[in-house]
Amino acid sequence: MARRKRISSSSSSAEDDVNLTPMLDVVFILLIFFIVTAQFIKEPGVEISRTEVDNTERQNPLGILIAIDEESDIYIDKEVVTLQEVGFRIRELREDNPKGRLVVQADQDSDAGVLISLLEIINNEDGLTAVPVSVEQE
Amino acid sequence: MRGRQSKQADEASVDLTPMLDVVFILLIFFIVTSTFIQEEALGLEPPPPPSQAESNPDQSAILIYVGEDNLITVNGRLTDISGVRANMERLRAENPESALIIQAHPQARTGTIVKIRDEAYNAQMTRVNIVQSES
Repeated sequence: MARRKRISSSSSSAEDDVNLTPMLDVVFILLIFFIVTAQFIKEPGVEISRTEVDNTERQNPLGILIAIDEESDIYIDKEVVTLQEVGFRIRELREDNPKGRLVVQADQDSDAGVLISLLEIINNEDGLTAVPVSVEQE
Repeated sequence: MRGRQSKQADEASVDLTPMLDVVFILLIFFIVTSTFIQEEALGLEPPPPPSQAESNPDQSAILIYVGEDNLITVNGRLTDISGVRANMERLRAENPESALIIQAHPQARTGTIVKIRDEAYNAQMTRVNIVQSES
């Protein structure tokens, strides 16, 4: 049989040193890929239900995420933040990430008052004239 | 045993194993920490500063009010989310220069506000402001 033939013909001397160079190449390429694409975003850590709309725009690269959950609590970096602290926290995060986009993840059942106050603070802090609010394509 | 081919060849071939260890650890670190978050977003305009709002009060504007009970009124006329765009376009046809003001009660749903802003994008309204009413 063919299988038997292969086993008998293979010599064990070539197994002694395997050529690692091609694997190293692949590993380095993977490493460089992950280094380049790595973005260290501090996620708010709450699940929100997004509003479904027609007009969406992909935000890239992301920088700062601020979430408002359905209880209208504001979350930054897995912590509840009061409205007064938000400006300070944004300035803090901006030091690490000066270029990334700021996105507000607002739950569709949260209070609009909290969102609008937050938009006002972000506008004062970041100078955005239109603050991106996370939505879903309908 | 067969043994290594020659002693002097050892100097030429560098032992790659420690470097491979380091590279693998780095690789695993970056795989674990990398996050691929994608966000689709809609731009919402913040309220204008107080002084600016008072400077042009006479300009005609379309006012969409969302109450505490999420009822939508466009310039005083009660409507629902599907009727917002038609109302908006009718009022703009009467006065093409008019700006749009979305006024929300602090306890209104965020989803309603985002939907109205989306309808305004559909209707190609350019000057939009989102403000909140005094509770």
